[in-house]
Amino acid sequence: MIDREWGDIFSGFAGEQGDLIPILQRVQEKAGYITKGAIEAISQFLKISENQIFGVASFYSQFRFTEPGRNSIKVCMGTACHVRGGQILGDVLERELAISAGQTTEDKRFDLQRVACLGCCALAPVIQINDDIYSRMTVIRLKEVLEKYE
Amino acid sequence: MSKRSKTVKITMDNKVLQVKRKLTILQAAECNGIYIPTLCAHEALTPFGGCRMCIVEVEGMRGFPTACTTPVEEGMVIRTHTAQVQNERREILQLILSEHTSSCLICGQKDECREYMGTIRKAGVITGCRYCPNDGQCELQDVVEYLGLKEIDYPIYYRQLRVEKEDPFYDRDYNLCILCGRCIRMCQEIRMADVLAFKQRGRQTVIGPAYNRTHWQAGCEFCGACVSVCPTGALSEKARKWEGKAEREEVTTCSLCGVGCQVRLLIKGEKVIGSLPAEDPLVNDGQLCVKGRFCVTELVNNHRRLRKPYRTQNGAELQISWEQAIELAAKKLSDCPAERFGLLVSPNCTNEDLYVAQKFARVVMGSVNIDTTARKFYGPGFNAYLNLMRMSVPLADLSKASLILCVGLDTRFGRSVVGVQLRKAIGRGAKVITINPRNNNLTMIAEKWLQPAPDEMVHLLRSLVKLTEKKGRRTMMSASRRKRGDLADELSQVAEMLGEACSPVILVGSEFLQRRESPQILEAIGKLARNTCAGVLPLPAQSNLYGSVLMGAYPELLPGGFSSTDKGRADDLSERWSADIPTFPSRRSAEALLWGRKLKVLYLIGVVPPNREPHSDFTIFQNIYPSGSPGQADLVLPAAAFTETDGTSINGEGRIQRVRKAVHPPGEALPDWEILCRIARKLGKKGFDFGNVRQIHKEISRFVAGFGNFAKPRRKASPLLIEGELRVVRRKSAGKKRADKKPPFMMNVSTVEHIYRGFPLTDWVEGARMLFAEETVDVSPEDAKKLGISTGDEVVVSWEHFQKSLLARIVSGQQRGMLYATLRNGEFIEPNPHPVIMRKKDV
Repeated sequence: MIDREWGDIFSGFAGEQGDLIPILQRVQEKAGYITKGAIEAISQFLKISENQIFGVASFYSQFRFTEPGRNSIKVCMGTACHVRGGQILGDVLERELAISAGQTTEDKRFDLQRVACLGCCALAPVIQINDDIYSRMTVIRLKEVLEKYE
Repeated sequence: MSKRSKTVKITMDNKVLQVKRKLTILQAAECNGIYIPTLCAHEALTPFGGCRMCIVEVEGMRGFPTACTTPVEEGMVIRTHTAQVQNERREILQLILSEHTSSCLICGQKDECREYMGTIRKAGVITGCRYCPNDGQCELQDVVEYLGLKEIDYPIYYRQLRVEKEDPFYDRDYNLCILCGRCIRMCQEIRMADVLAFKQRGRQTVIGPAYNRTHWQAGCEFCGACVSVCPTGALSEKARKWEGKAEREEVTTCSLCGVGCQVRLLIKGEKVIGSLPAEDPLVNDGQLCVKGRFCVTELVNNHRRLRKPYRTQNGAELQISWEQAIELAAKKLSDCPAERFGLLVSPNCTNEDLYVAQKFARVVMGSVNIDTTARKFYGPGFNAYLNLMRMSVPLADLSKASLILCVGLDTRFGRSVVGVQLRKAIGRGAKVITINPRNNNLTMIAEKWLQPAPDEMVHLLRSLVKLTEKKGRRTMMSASRRKRGDLADELSQVAEMLGEACSPVILVGSEFLQRRESPQILEAIGKLARNTCAGVLPLPAQSNLYGSVLMGAYPELLPGGFSSTDKGRADDLSERWSADIPTFPSRRSAEALLWGRKLKVLYLIGVVPPNREPHSDFTIFQNIYPSGSPGQADLVLPAAAFTETDGTSINGEGRIQRVRKAVHPPGEALPDWEILCRIARKLGKKGFDFGNVRQIHKEISRFVAGFGNFAKPRRKASPLLIEGELRVVRRKSAGKKRADKKPPFMMNVSTVEHIYRGFPLTDWVEGARMLFAEETVDVSPEDAKKLGISTGDEVVVSWEHFQKSLLARIVSGQQRGMLYATLRNGEFIEPNPHPVIMRKKDV
């Protein structure tokens, strides 16, 4: 008995093991992240254990397991940003928001992700909040930038 | 094209070898005694190529291929330990060790330190660095030694992962894990339980179930297969963490259920320190369940084991010598008239013990009052159950079946070896259908799950019988009106599948045995099997139920399974034993004789005193543990557990298998047969001069076919062949009482079945308490929400004259309004399921 909520997610799939990743992508598209209920439903549909599904999904950075926040912060960890202190920005953000990368703050205000390259290496180090790019970022500027977002 | 030869010629380390075509380089090397270090390869598992320890040089191939994944080819020139290969291996090993606590591997003081690790303090103190319980058994240590690694050039990165101790039986310290993936492959490929997976990737990679679930939550069967293949100390058994290496091994038959798995007992000194599956293709094929893998050692090593005989007087326990104990028993028994004597024996005993016990009752006491606890467990369905055993097929038939029907079967903890066979069958393309009111680990893998309410089980099976009798005729089920259409459809589909299947097998579990209609259910299964030409395999909970029947440990049966009313057989037996064999009065029931009245002397072998007061004037209690409530036994005799005695036992398929003595019994404890013989000799009876088990076995071979070769018993599965029948009391149907109102809940009661010699395993094995439900009631999530109950809450269930407080467990997939209680003592509650009221206990 598959949860009604997820029933239509499976339309068009034959129920073969190879369908796992396209189904996970469809779930993330619909719910914003991979929920526990979705994994349970996929497990029943594909007859793959929840443990294996989680193992596969957690391998890929495109899947997230926590509800996205109202604002999403991406810290660039590309080569240029790394050289210019992207790592430090990430660490400070983790401490400031009291979450680690991939998580969402308790009040759902922010979620934090480390990404490989945002494609504007000349402006390093870079962070992106929602659609806004903040270039030549410093730790001092971080706090005031964050205050803009509710 | 010429036919390809089966072998290829390769050159390995300058030696020309002729090896089989399909081998990998690693296998070819192993066959020819060439050592290649490995950490992730395991003979039972598919090649993985993860640890890179087995890299070799192959002429004409780029880089260093891994020996475990590269198949041999004609003319291959392989070098396994050139200086360059060894250097690469050392480098890779250093990388592995940079994340592994390595003081035991490369410390310069490690040998000197080991000498001082012993301590004279009484507490379990360890001096020196010991981060890992697998010291001395760790494969990393072997490889480090082989490569002569002395130091690690990389900075040490300690992962600081929490040691996971919340699951029973084994701990997990993933700081020691080298991510070889053996446990995952074991869980996925061999056990097919799919509990473990690699999570995350790169430096974050850890092994475990989804999210941060415990193994228990993730559906782990606790078979311990992952622990057995772990090359490091990351997975370690709680109970034998610091026991070290075993000195010797003994293969025996596990006596904790009727599957009869072959186990390798690991022995150190006079102690069984572990049990591992034996590579035995007939029954368990290198697999075990949680009971055989983890419960055996804790069960037999418990400090509360009986060591000396004692008697109780005015509530005090007086230790006495064996001579005094035998004398006391003999005195009480010589004063006891035959009809007021009773002997109850456990179906966990060996054939030899059971044979001597029934001979004791018949010859020494001249009494027919001999019985086993199986009569209580199976109740009115006992005879019907034995009738199914007469039709049994071997477990190996599952590999031929295209359809397997499971009735009332749960294979998560007990019988998980059968669960593995089922999943294997599915992998091969067979279909599994499960008929069970409850949701368990078979429902997910089954093609169809028929979920009747517990009291509809018999209707459902009878409908299937009818559907398979006359094709095309549909039978409506009267009991379930709501979903009649759906269910009838499902049933005719199942009937059709059964009709078309090739050599189908019906596996019979034990979840309905405590119900009043169990005889009808069992009979319907028999008819269904006949209609569809299916094989039936009942999986009894008792290790030697089959043997107890064949040895004649029942009033109605003589050794060989002959009816005790058979005058010719009884006379023949009288002659052989040179004693008068009492005949069982044909109109009496064994239940009334033994269980329902007060006796003068009650002799209990591996049985706990019945739950009534007073059961006898004098009770002899012979077991491995004390009886629990003092005062219930007047004379207590310490007996040997199955790891401490020799003999044979017959599993549910009818294989005669050896039980071998691994260690001496604790203290002065003796095997059951020896105690019985000593008492018999004290009473001056002849025919009890057995000096060893072999002599008893020889005597049995005169009555029972298949016996005779004690050293190598005939391990061929055979259906139960008996002429006699057990007389069971069928309870009359009470007639459906229409309640004025619909009762809020229906409670279905079952008894615990993980019993060894009368005691639930949970009494002696700590970890078992978490796995096996006892004194609990399972509630559906909807009902729990309505009453505000969560798992672990105490609830009170009550009906007319009965009130009981039980622990609630919330179980998904369970029908609303239905409760499932598991109780320790097997009283039949009438009717079952029973209408009850449930409330949350007031704090």
